Amino acid sequence: MTDAIRARGVTVKLGGHLVLDDVTFEVARGEFACLCGPNGGGKTTFLKAALGLVPLEAGAIEVLGTTPGAARRHVGYLPQAKSFNPAFPARVAEVIAANRTGVWPLRVSAQERERARAALARVGGERLLDSPLRGLSGGETQRVFLARALVNEPALLLLDEPTAGVDARGRGEFLDLLAGVAARDDLAAVLVTHNPATVRRLAERVVYLDGRVQAWGPPAEVLDRDGNRPSAFSGQDHDHRQGPMCEDE
Amino acid sequence: MPELIDGLLSPLGQGFVRRALAAGTALGAAGALLGVFIVQRGLGLLSDGLAHATFGGLALGLLLGATVDRAIWVALPFTVAIALGIQHVRRRTTLGGDVATGVFFAVSFAAGILFLGLRPARSVPVNVEGLLFGSLLAVSPEALAVILAVAALTVVVLAVIGPRLAYATFDPELATLSGVPVAALEYLLLALTALVVVVGVKTVGVVLVSAFVVIPAAAANLLGRSLAGIALLAVALSVGGTAFGLFASYHLNVATGATIILTLGAFFFLALVLRRR
Repeated sequence: MTDAIRARGVTVKLGGHLVLDDVTFEVARGEFACLCGPNGGGKTTFLKAALGLVPLEAGAIEVLGTTPGAARRHVGYLPQAKSFNPAFPARVAEVIAANRTGVWPLRVSAQERERARAALARVGGERLLDSPLRGLSGGETQRVFLARALVNEPALLLLDEPTAGVDARGRGEFLDLLAGVAARDDLAAVLVTHNPATVRRLAERVVYLDGRVQAWGPPAEVLDRDGNRPSAFSGQDHDHRQGPMCEDE
Repeated sequence: MPELIDGLLSPLGQGFVRRALAAGTALGAAGALLGVFIVQRGLGLLSDGLAHATFGGLALGLLLGATVDRAIWVALPFTVAIALGIQHVRRRTTLGGDVATGVFFAVSFAAGILFLGLRPARSVPVNVEGLLFGSLLAVSPEALAVILAVAALTVVVLAVIGPRLAYATFDPELATLSGVPVAALEYLLLALTALVVVVGVKTVGVVLVSAFVVIPAAAANLLGRSLAGIALLAVALSVGGTAFGLFASYHLNVATGATIILTLGAFFFLALVLRRR
């Protein structure tokens, strides 16, 4: 079976600046991986490359055995919390239906509404179906976006710091939910996070990205005992661009 | 009561009032529909900037020897180019839409003043105030036909692209992932706005055309709970405010454009009071 993600020599330049340099790793089907690294290390850029949103300077990414663009329908994506236009009068059922149909529904059909309800039920958020999006808490919003990501029955989830800005309780609930959904549906997942506790709790594999892949393996092998640096760099000088590679959110 | 209504509607007996009503409500409806997306995107200054850019385009047309009526055919590509330039700067730089609009607005307005000054001394004098403020009551049958065609085109195009444009307005990245051609739709929205603004400036003036785009959509945004509801309410407020303002100005014998804007402004402040908590 093909890998969920297979990156080979991925190099990306943004605005003339080298953001990803010869990045190579893979994530197996059903595997939960965390992307860690300093700010500016290329974590979000890698996710966008895997979604086909940024062009590669060199190398290749296969997603579910095909190109990122062709795989999009089978990939669920969770952006950072509250990254959408806060002025937009969105309702939860519309947000989920839009991901199914590719257009913003002026009226959600009964069929799409039922699909949205079923997706919300998988994340324990059925009661949110008719809620305005802008009235929800950070945790509730990410629950809705997880349902949105699940509505197309993806084989792979890409999550970009989904709990950044969410309070501790909401973060804990969301991560429990995410772990449960990924395990139950045997989903592969790539989660961008700065939080070592999150890495230890969820990841089967960690990729430390600082422009290049600096370390890659099971959390126990990659994280040092403090969880603040990859053990691969213990005792070595390392150019941390902005602080530690993994830190509490 | 019937006598009162007959009296209030008596201006409709005159052709120029009927043309003004048709032109005002058509431009109002088209502007309000565009405004729903413009306001949601935080580009409220855009229509004002494009209206002033239209002045530059009209002035260029006059410099090239066109009559005031024909200068619109120079103003149209000029203003669309300015709109696309604003969008290009928005997409390719970290400058916001308001900054890009401010730069293009100032430059094209200044260019307009320069173009008028460069006209030969023997040229027919131009009423600059007329260019800036238009005259709804002076809409000719030919101008009305153009306005109705542009308004119909706007409604049809928005009906076709509206759901995708709405998705792109909610979250451009998620819309792109769903296959929405976000950049193309944004350029199209600005080009369509430029088209309505050019036709509007020529007939109702810089200030009123900006008001048509921004005020009804802003008021509806305060009250509506869904995009479709906001769009319908914006059109209703714009058409209603235009009709009310036109009749009121006729009976009170005051400036038509200003009365329409004040009516729309009153709707906005009423919406502020009534807005959903």
